[in-house]
Amino acid sequence: MDPTIQVEHLVKRYKKAATPAVDDIGFEVGAGELFAFLGPNGAGKTTTISILTTTLAKTSGIVRIDGHDLDRDPTAVRRRIGIIFQNPSVDLHLSGEENIRLHVALYGLYAYRPFYRAMPADYRNRIEELAEVVGLRDDVFRPLKTFSGGMKRKLEIIRSLMHRPGVLFLDEPTSGLDPVSRHSLWQYLRRVRAADGTTIFLTTHYLEEAEEADRVCVIDHGRIATIGTPDELKADLLERSIVLDAVDRPALIAELRSFGASPSIDDGGLIRVPYSGATAQSLVARVTTPLTVLRVHDPSLEEAYVALLRLDEEPETRGLQGSAA
Amino acid sequence: MTTTAATVRSTDRSGIRSRFAREANATFAIAWREVLRAIKSPSSIAFTVIFPVIFMGVLGGSISQNLGSALPYAYLPFMLIGMVANTLYQGTIVGVTNLVEERENDFTAELFVAPISRYAVLLGKIVGSGIASLISLVGIVAMIFVMQIPMSFGDLLRVIALAPILALAGGSLGVFFIGFVQDPKTAGAGVALLVFPQIFLSGALIPTAGSTGILGVLAHLMPMTYSIDLARNIFYAGKPEAAFTVLNSPWLDLAVTVGFFLVFTVVGTYMFVRADRNR
Repeated sequence: MDPTIQVEHLVKRYKKAATPAVDDIGFEVGAGELFAFLGPNGAGKTTTISILTTTLAKTSGIVRIDGHDLDRDPTAVRRRIGIIFQNPSVDLHLSGEENIRLHVALYGLYAYRPFYRAMPADYRNRIEELAEVVGLRDDVFRPLKTFSGGMKRKLEIIRSLMHRPGVLFLDEPTSGLDPVSRHSLWQYLRRVRAADGTTIFLTTHYLEEAEEADRVCVIDHGRIATIGTPDELKADLLERSIVLDAVDRPALIAELRSFGASPSIDDGGLIRVPYSGATAQSLVARVTTPLTVLRVHDPSLEEAYVALLRLDEEPETRGLQGSAA
Repeated sequence: MTTTAATVRSTDRSGIRSRFAREANATFAIAWREVLRAIKSPSSIAFTVIFPVIFMGVLGGSISQNLGSALPYAYLPFMLIGMVANTLYQGTIVGVTNLVEERENDFTAELFVAPISRYAVLLGKIVGSGIASLISLVGIVAMIFVMQIPMSFGDLLRVIALAPILALAGGSLGVFFIGFVQDPKTAGAGVALLVFPQIFLSGALIPTAGSTGILGVLAHLMPMTYSIDLARNIFYAGKPEAAFTVLNSPWLDLAVTVGFFLVFTVVGTYMFVRADRNR
């Protein structure tokens, strides 16, 4: 089965730029996959997403969305995708609902009517349903000039979901959202994925959102630094560890060293023991010194991400790059 | 969170199936957006109504009082028709060039990522800006009574019926302009350069039948000259004043207007989209 998103040797060099913003990257995203595309500011994320959504021309390379070549059939590509832009793309002169009504007409979902009440019941129900989901409710009918940044973001979310796209591009979708709205949005996105098999291409600076991605791709300086599942990334870049302490700390350290462990004192003044291969339980089971602290530390994606970018800054670690699928 | 997977599946996602109907629907929606924006901006309405009133009342009135008696026809109806055509034409130019500002504040991303042709987007802008510019005719029509301009409403309605042609002509010039000008500040100054010379050189306010030399050449180069002359051809059809007020045959005016429209729209759309994507 063909991947939903195929990117091969993609290059984008802006006019008058000394170096490419995107430099020969390639990856594939499968149908229904949640693909997190991460990287620091200026790494090339938005450039890539702009090319994939047809709003920016690439310098070279091949991009296919749902089997449609971006150059040959951009309209077919646009019909299959939904986008939440990094910068809200909304008309401040209209109300929230009027912005959505324009959107559904642009996508050919409903015949446009100049008045909300004249729109089909199906449309009105969906507006109400999605406004409830993101917590906008009746505010959706207010002029957009009165919206806060977070409310505009919620409106964009409603709009992007109206046409139920096969591929949803989310460019930092939850920036500016309060925790409750963020939680509601992700709950809804999970439901949409389960129901419609929607492929999601996500960029975010909230790395806990990327934890549940099927795969994570990190881009830095326009090149892919690494790609894999969150667990693979964490395993590649960080060691799992247990954190221990005891009243008789020297005895505990000596005991740990006696069976080959490498204890060290961490930033919090506790004993940290990395382990790989074995389980935390198998390590702890051998300790006889009475413990006062026992914690298993499972590294987060954020820690792995930070570690990767630090490695990437060091020339001798360049070998990590270019491991794209 | 009340949505269920069942309700997510239940709605038809295909919508309008015919490609032509989809494009027409999108064009209508974009056009209506322009109308809504105009309606929701009282200051803008006031400006667009007052601007032609000042031109007609002050400039037109002054020309009429001081030079009108030397003309072999009534100056005020001549000027009125010119101002009606000018208002529709220029109002559409300004509305379309607003796309440069919308590109700057990211709204065009929503339009250009939609599965419709760029022509539908620009046609929607032209049609909507044309309809919105009809609002400014309110002031012009009021001036018929204020300045006691001798003309029948039948004549005026015939000229207003030309609104679609005038809007398309003006809009295409706006599209051509934004195809080459991408910076909002440059666009603001450039629109003034596009609008004001045409007001004075195309015969909207000042007769150009006697223009010679450079001014005569410029008058013939102004795209709006032919749109305004077409409007006067309609207004003065069958009247003796036509010999003094009309420059060309209506068919020539129409042919040139259509020619300008096609060239401006195709070249302007190509350049605008190219500039937007080829950064």
